[in-house]
Amino acid sequence: MANTVIGSSIMIDGEISGDEDLVIQGTVKGRISVKESLYVEGSGVVEADIETQNVEIAGQVTGNIVASDKVELKSDCRVIGDIKAPRVLIADGASFKGNVDMEVSRK
Amino acid sequence: MAINTKDVENPGRTIIGESILVNGRLDGDEDLTVRGRVEGAINLTKTLTIEPSGIVKADVSVRNVIISGVVVGNVTASESVELTQEGRMVGDIRAPRVIIVDGASFRGRVDMGDLEASRTAPERPRSAPAPAAAPRPAVMAAPVRAVAPPPARPAAPQPVASAPAPAPAPRTFSAPPRPPTSMAPPIPPAAALAASNKRKVIVKKKK
Repeated sequence: MANTVIGSSIMIDGEISGDEDLVIQGTVKGRISVKESLYVEGSGVVEADIETQNVEIAGQVTGNIVASDKVELKSDCRVIGDIKAPRVLIADGASFKGNVDMEVSRK
Repeated sequence: MAINTKDVENPGRTIIGESILVNGRLDGDEDLTVRGRVEGAINLTKTLTIEPSGIVKADVSVRNVIISGVVVGNVTASESVELTQEGRMVGDIRAPRVIIVDGASFRGRVDMGDLEASRTAPERPRSAPAPAAAPRPAVMAAPVRAVAPPPARPAAPQPVASAPAPAPAPRTFSAPPRPPTSMAPPIPPAAALAASNKRKVIVKKKK
């Protein structure tokens, strides 16, 4: 799955950037910018603006999300913030508040 | 992305991959393996492992740390610090155990804590409360004979001290407890301490 895992008892306050998948099971505040996929698992709490290719959220995210490919909100997640991505999936049971903009065009 | 099998078996740990940069504070209660870059501060209650590709420009405060990569910053560990052959570090180390393997590069200071307490005893034979040596009375007991071991509470530095003979029991090492002035030659600090009979120096006094 991913090479980088932020465990559930880890708290990061700052910026994360990288070129690989990132799995968050802990708490991150600040900014996240990864060129691949981001997975926020059920125990993950993210208070950050996210910029990535793909993101799957099963935990809690407060912040704006910009994805170049897809944003997926799974059941039981809580997202507050704007989403900007060409593809957006919101599963039944997800909790979301914010704007959705699907007109991202990366030329 | 392929996972390095080495780490898969332990799902409870955190791994910062090679191409990840974390800029900020990192706090946690579990093991952390860094293969990428971390700048800022790291606080863990467990073990930090910095792999050869890892670069940490941060002040680190953990229980154990194993450095095989590059660390620029001060490292404080409550248990041990290990610099392996590929480890490169610039900064100060504060830990009770420090292991530096042949081939490692290091520049900085090393402070292993209360080891110094028994040495500094002679420097202040007059002062009743001695510098911090209390935390490790067991360790201290060996070299510092005249110093009252933990049983002689810090509360009784002056009175108890002045009576070495009557209270030799706590000082298991009191081979030469009687002669306050003539102390065992092998331990000059102890001698000095014992010599200052007037003021029993409890080196172990915890500050």
